Formats: sequence, structure tokens, C-alpha cells
Amino acid sequence: MKNLVALDPQVHRDIRINPHTIEAKWAKLNMVPVVLSEFSKLVVQFPIVFSKNIETGQFVCVALTGFEKGQNLFWENGSSTSIYTPLHITHLPFYVGQDEQSNNNSVICIDTQSSALSEQGEALFDVEGNATPYLKSAQSHLQALVEGTPQTETFISLLLKYKLLTQITLDITFGNGTKNTIKGLYSVDEERMEKLSESQIIELQQSGYLQLIHIQLASLGQIYALINKKNKMDLIE
Amino acid sequence: MDKNNKKTRSIIVVGGGSAGWITAGRIAAKHKSNQASGIQITLIESPEISTIGVGEGTWPTMRNTLKQIGISETDFLRECNATFKQGAKFAKWVTGAENDFYYHPLTLPQGFVHTNLAPYWQSSQTPDQSFSNSVCFQEQLCENGLAPKHITTPEYDSVANYAYHLDANKFSAFLKKHCTEKLGVKYISDDVVSVNVAKNEDIESVVTKLNGTFAADLFVDCTGFSSLLLGKHYQVPFIDKSDVLFIDKALAVQVPYASENTPIASHTLSTGQEAGWIWDIGLTERRGVGYVYSSQHISLDQAEQCLAEYVGPQIVDLNLRSLSIRSGHRAKFWHKNCVAVGLSAGFLEPLEASALMLIELSAEMISEQLPANRQVMDTIAKRFNETFLYRWEKIIEFLKLHYVLSQRTEPFWQDNRNSQSIPDGLQEMLDYWKYHTPADHDFSSNNEVFPAASYQYVLYGMGFKTDTSLFQHLYTDPEKAEHQFTLNQHNIARALKSLPSNRALLDKVNQYGFSAL
Repeated sequence: MKNLVALDPQVHRDIRINPHTIEAKWAKLNMVPVVLSEFSKLVVQFPIVFSKNIETGQFVCVALTGFEKGQNLFWENGSSTSIYTPLHITHLPFYVGQDEQSNNNSVICIDTQSSALSEQGEALFDVEGNATPYLKSAQSHLQALVEGTPQTETFISLLLKYKLLTQITLDITFGNGTKNTIKGLYSVDEERMEKLSESQIIELQQSGYLQLIHIQLASLGQIYALINKKNKMDLIE
Repeated sequence: MDKNNKKTRSIIVVGGGSAGWITAGRIAAKHKSNQASGIQITLIESPEISTIGVGEGTWPTMRNTLKQIGISETDFLRECNATFKQGAKFAKWVTGAENDFYYHPLTLPQGFVHTNLAPYWQSSQTPDQSFSNSVCFQEQLCENGLAPKHITTPEYDSVANYAYHLDANKFSAFLKKHCTEKLGVKYISDDVVSVNVAKNEDIESVVTKLNGTFAADLFVDCTGFSSLLLGKHYQVPFIDKSDVLFIDKALAVQVPYASENTPIASHTLSTGQEAGWIWDIGLTERRGVGYVYSSQHISLDQAEQCLAEYVGPQIVDLNLRSLSIRSGHRAKFWHKNCVAVGLSAGFLEPLEASALMLIELSAEMISEQLPANRQVMDTIAKRFNETFLYRWEKIIEFLKLHYVLSQRTEPFWQDNRNSQSIPDGLQEMLDYWKYHTPADHDFSSNNEVFPAASYQYVLYGMGFKTDTSLFQHLYTDPEKAEHQFTLNQHNIARALKSLPSNRALLDKVNQYGFSAL
């Protein structure tokens, strides 16, 4: 159970965070929610697709890291091998909370129950009580996530409005002969993109969405890289 | 101009309600009434006469009807207080005992296209496992109040086949808004006071109280029981079927839920009573309950008492509505350039929720086969009449089947088994089914209403016995049958584990809605 407390330089002066424990939080995730501002970093290694939240049926944007539940192909021998780690992980253990004391303003909070808190590791504050580079970095990740989440929802709403999303099914045969069919994933529909009107294209261009759509479509090629990765790992085993 | 080649350019629907708006909506959507080149549709509805406001059960066909009209399932569910219906539970229809019930679910029996399980079920050693429960997983979903799909299932798609329960008044208002705002249907709130007739006896125009005269090429009579155009104006006779289906009164009430967490039933509940039966339909905010009965067998006082026992003490605070109903239908439905849809065409007790379905089928046929000009209209009219006379006949026979198979001993039920009240067609099939289980070849018309599976559910649910001993050589694949029975058990287990409760899903739909994909 999380316990969120407003971050305070005095109260939390001696807290240390183990960055490896944070990183390990995605060791068993085969998909990770992502926001728009991450797209250009994600496309280098991850397929970016859409999936439905199982509780609400709402679409979310995710980076695919594996083909089965609990399988992150970017986690090998106890550490992450990816170039970029999504904000969904790197903002931990910090969250945004409401501060009752200061007029319900948003404040940065720390989860005091997080398993990443430890005796040794990264400090949050220096001797003068100023934020360390580590804390500043985590804070900027949190901010990007908080800003990016509603932006991503708006982007998805527009895709739905223009009927640009389509279901994709992955029928994969791995190098060792095993087969896997993955459903429940969605992508922008290239054919529908071609049917958009001029004014719709201009709207997408001016809002910056057109570029993001192209990045998402390009990222689908990473599925092959992911299959390749799986095949290589199977050979080693 | 040669009147016979007069193009069909405009249609007037007289009457609102479910019939008027579903018909207007289907035709307007298909024939592009919101464009100048499309067919112009005007709906004239009386501000004085209210709709019947009780028809609340549908068939799965309603999902397609709403889709064809361009309505989102999420909007429909939210604005019409609608819920999911997965079949009908018939309680106390056979013996009247407390634990007497059977299901007519909306999903075909397991493996129905290649395997007929009925003879194997009958000859199995454990007939205490009911037919429906042995061959279909849907009964268990209903008994456990589960929903037919997930919040992640796209709109109109299903995990288990389903239909709807809806609030009739809200449904009319919802359709009216969609038809007038999106589909280009023109709306006139006024009374039709007279009809102007052409030389060929067609309706040339209708005269309204305040807004003058309206002409059209085709008139749709959705005026309810009064059947203003087909019945009153054209005097098309009404064929009384009360000698077959005796129910002639309805006592209706809306019952609130005890709390906002009270489970919402996944099915229509029909409970046999002394002289009829009580319907019980769960919507999101309240239940719709009513006793349909024969006034030849019990009095209004007795009916009220029976309903009060069913509903409980809270009935004293509730409004009861009493309605007179006449079982039967018009001798024809399309005469000259006028076609009747809904109660103006006929009425039967709502035992299998056929009224809204007949409206949908009528609207679909008019829309799909709209005659291009007056010359070909008589051909379509003739086909329409043949089609729907067949359908009314089949529905009457199927409803009567429920009564013929009962073993209840009260006078109403005994009279229902009187051979004079049983249509010949039904009796003939019952005699045939003594030796053959219902199969698709028994229902070979293009215009069939109920599939063979429905007849199996009712026959074997009510304890009818088919003697398969004469054709034992046909039933020599018990392993294949056993495999299907086992598959069904797996389906039940899987469905019970994964599907949410009806109310939980409806709450989520309210909050999040269904996605289009």
C-alpha cells in the first residue's frame, strides 16, 4: 500500500533511493504506458501501440516490451538493456499530491512505503537542504508524466474521432518454432490516414499530431526487432 | 402526369412512439432524408394522445436496428436507462411449484449447426440437469446476474448473445431527438383530424388541426390501438385471436430498486399466475412489472391482489396502470398507399417480446423494399402482407405452445389446453414432434420468426417428451454428444469466472462508455 507524504527537505533529509530497485520495477512488464513526449525516444527500440485499460475500456498508449505477460525482453541478467526507460518507471517513487496545508496546491510527494527506499543509494537533498541532481531528474520525469498524460488522452480522443485507430493482430512464429497470437493491440490505420480530408491533415499537422502518428507507424517495425531479440535469447538458453 | 408512375419522394408517418420513430429512423437513414436528393420524411404526432409507454423488451435484432439508424450503443444505454437481456426465464409455467422454471436463452445450443443434442439429453441418465443448462451456458449467466460482455468489448459486439430492456418513454424521446437532429426527419406536433382521398382511393393528404394539410406518396400508420388510417379510415378488419390467446387485460406498475446496489436481472422474468402471468423487467433505475391476465377468468380486484403479493407492501405507494388489450391483428397491413406498423397492425401478449421486433422487421422491409413509384407499390404491398401474415401466425403458434405444454390446473390453464383453442398448424407440429425433435427443416420459410432452437428450449424446458426409440439407429454418436456437453460445462465455468455483473458493467458504461472498436 502506498503512503504518499509531501516531500520535505528536513523530514526526508536522510532518505536514500536505490535506483536499481526503481529500474527493476519494469522487469516483468510486457507493456508500459507512455506519453507523447516520449515517442521520439521510444521509436528507437520499442513498438508503440495502443491497448485498452481492462478496468475502464479506455484506450491507452503503450510501449511493447514482450510477447507474454511478465516478459520484458529488455531485462536481462538482473538489469535493463534498453537505451531509454519510460517515465512510467523513472518518476518513481515520486507522485503528485494535493497539499492541504497550502491551499490544495499540487506538491511533489514521496511514497514512504516504496521498496526503493534504502540505507544506501542516491540522496535527495544535499547538506544545505537543496535538491540533488538525482531528485531534480526524478522531478522532471514526474512533471513530464503529469503533463503528458492528459495530452496523450486528447491525442487518442482525436484518433478515435477521425476513426484512425484499427485493431492489429500479431501472428508470430518464433525461431524455435513456437507460435503466439497476440490480440488486443491497436495502431493508427495507414489506409484511413490516406482518406483524410485536406483540412483534417492540416489540423493534425498544426497540432503536432501528424508527426507523432508517423512516429507511431514507424515504430511498428520494432516488432521485428523484438522478435529477433526473443529468438536470440532463446538460442542462448 | 400519370399517377401510376408517380415517384415515391415523400413519406408521412402518423404517430410517434417506438413504431413511429423506429420506422422514420430506418427509412431516413437508408434513404438519406437529410439530403435534398433523398426521400422526405415527416412525422406527425398528436400532443394530446400519449404513447402506450410499456413495451420494454427487445430481441437481439435491436442492436442492428440501432446501428443502422446511426446510434451509438453508449448513448442508447445511458439515455434510455437500458440494460442487457440474455433470454427469458419462465417460472411456474409447468406445475406452478416454487422451484418450477426453465430458460429460453438467446444463444443457440452448443454445437447446434452440426450436432442435435436434444435426443441425447433426453435419453441421458441424469435428466435432472435441465435441457437449457446442459446445452447452453447462458442460463448460468442469467442465474448469476452476469453481463453478456466486458467494458473492453466494442459496442454492439457480444461475448454472449444479448438484447435489451429499455424505458419505452425515454426510448421514444431519444429516437425523436436523433431522427430530427441527425437524420432530417421533419416533426409536426398536431392531431390528424381527417384524410383526403384520391380518385384511386389512395390517401392524398392528411389534414391537421392547426398546421394545415400534408401530402405524401406513402403513409405509415403508427397511431397505436386506434389504427387511424388502416383501421378507421380504410376499415381493414381486425382478426380477433382471443379464442387462442385469452389474455385481454394488463395491470402495469413501475417498481423502484431497494438500493443503487440491487442486482439488475440479466433476463426477462415471466411468472405464471392463476389467470395469466407477470412480467418483470429490470432497467437501470427501476423495474417494469405487470400482470397480463384474462378478465374472463379473474376480476380486476383479484388481479390487483395477485400483483400486490408479487410486488410486496411497497405497492401501496406505486401507481397502477390498467390497460385493455385485444389479441389479434389486421387482415392486411398494407392497403393502397398506407402501411401500418406497431399496435395499429396488431397486438399479442408480450410473452416473447415480439412487438418491438415486429416493428423492426416492418421498418426494415419498408426501408429495404421501398417501392420506387406507385405502379410497383401494389406488388410490395402484397408481399408485405404475405410476409407479415405468416409471421403473426407463427408468433401466435409459438406463444400458444407455452400454454399447451403447461400442467397447471386452474381454469385459465385448463381452458388453454382445450383443443378448440389450439391452432391447427401448432397441433400438427406437436403431433410430429412426438417422434422428431424440432429441426431447421421444420422452419423453411424465408419469413420464419423463431428458429428451431427456440422451439427446443420451450418444448424440452417444459418437459415435452419426444419418442426417439423408432429411430434409434440415428443416435449412435454419444461420444460426439458428450463432447459437446463437456464443452458447454467449460463455457459455463469460463464465463462465470470472467464476466462482470450486469450492474457493474452498466455502471462502467455510464462512466466510460463502450468504444466503437
